[in-house]
Formats: sequence, structure tokens, C-alpha cells
Amino acid sequence: MTSLRLANGPLAAPVLCRVVSMVLTRADCPLDRLDDALLVCDAIAAHAPAHTLDGHLAVTVAAESGQMELRVAELSRGGAEQVLEDAVVPGVGNVLEKVADDLRVEPSRTGGNDELVLAISF
Amino acid sequence: MSTDVAIAPDIELRLPARAENVAIVRHAFGALGEALDLEPQTLADILLAVTEACTNVVVHAYPDDSDGPLEVQATLLEEELVVAVSDEGPGIVPRPDSPGLGLGLPLIASLAESVQLGHDEHGRTEVRMAFPLTGVDAWDGEARS
Repeated sequence: MTSLRLANGPLAAPVLCRVVSMVLTRADCPLDRLDDALLVCDAIAAHAPAHTLDGHLAVTVAAESGQMELRVAELSRGGAEQVLEDAVVPGVGNVLEKVADDLRVEPSRTGGNDELVLAISF
Repeated sequence: MSTDVAIAPDIELRLPARAENVAIVRHAFGALGEALDLEPQTLADILLAVTEACTNVVVHAYPDDSDGPLEVQATLLEEELVVAVSDEGPGIVPRPDSPGLGLGLPLIASLAESVQLGHDEHGRTEVRMAFPLTGVDAWDGEARS
């Protein structure tokens, strides 16, 4: 499992995308699902910072047995739901719901109030 | 440590100290370099030094082949990038049976503006490196929130 904490700002999206792409590549993820995962990362990096507690995006990523699990932690109370709402693109729908095979909100294990958990199978 | 960084790091990575994970750290710093539009030579120096420090953790920190943690922090200051690579191993000590050539730390010292070997606030072994970031326009500090 790889854990990241990224300051909200211009580094969050590129670093998150690079790290997730490396983890998935090593797990033999096919290109189409890798592309989907990067779409998720872009959406997370774009919308989650507005709902973090201390200005840092906390993410853990793990990939094994044909599945990637991405946990966005340390979100404010109701923040995970807000991230989901923010990910709606007019005419397209909710990007996160369309791409992820499993999507749920859990109480945070590492601090904060909410944790958004996304799973992508490949 | 004299180069104390009071502000929270801009990037923190924590992952098992395995050889394949050094590539993840390297790619993360590659993304940082692209986002900041660093000069190729500056980025190459940073990547090489960080790779050496992480490799040292993989090779030396956990001699019983356990997957202890490798933690990397990067903090952007006004004119420098401070990178701290830490582990929970026994510390930096002479190792007669070392599988390496012993070039890692001298190489880091030649690439970084400053290097400090010691322990972080949690007592973990730490290599802290600072790299000058002259000419970086992309980071003005206002992006911190």
C-alpha cells in the first residue's frame, strides 16, 4: 500500500496521477482501466481539496488481484458526499460513479470525518 | 537539524521499502519537476539524489529483509526544495558486508546544496537534502491553502 499526503495546489494532480499510474502499471492493469483510474485521480485532485481538513489531500492506493482501491481520507464531515456531488459533469453524469466499480463513504481511519473509497477492477 | 521545516511538507509518500517502490518515488518527483517546470539538469540532480537515498533505505535499513517503511517528504521553500528520506532502521552505521560501493552518500552530497544525516522528530533515521530552485516561476507560494 502506498500512502500520499499532498498539499492542495498545483502539485496534487500530477503527483497523484503519476503515483497511481505507477502502482497500476506494476499490477498489470490494462491501458483502458489505467486511463479510467487517471480520470478518477484528476477528479479527486480537482474536487477533494475543497473538502479537506488541513489543506492536504490524504490518499492511499493499493492494487492487487485485479483491483485497485483508492482511499481519500481526512475529509471534512460530509466532504466525501460533496466530492461525489462535485464530480458531476453536465451531459456526462457523475464521473466517479461511472468509472468506479465500487464507491462508498466510510468513517475515516486516519483522522478527519469522512473517507471516500473507490475501487476499480481490471 | 538546522534546516528545520516548520511548515507541512508539500508531498509525503509512505510505502514499503522495496526496490520496485523506488521507481514510484522517482516518478512522483518527476511529476513535481514537470509541475514546477524545473530545468532538466536540476531535476536530474534531484532525481538521482532522491533515488540514491531511497535505494540506501531499501538496501541497508532493514537487513532482515523485512518490508519496513520508506518515507519521503518534499517541502518547497522560497528558493529551495527540501527532501527528507527516512526509515525505521538502526541508523547509518559502517557495514563491512555492504553490497554496495559506498558511493551513495558522497553522490548525494555532490548533487545537493546541503545534506544532513540524523534523525527526524520521531527518532527515525533521516537523510535531509536541500536543492536550490533558482528560476522557478511556477511556484509562488499562493497555491498553498
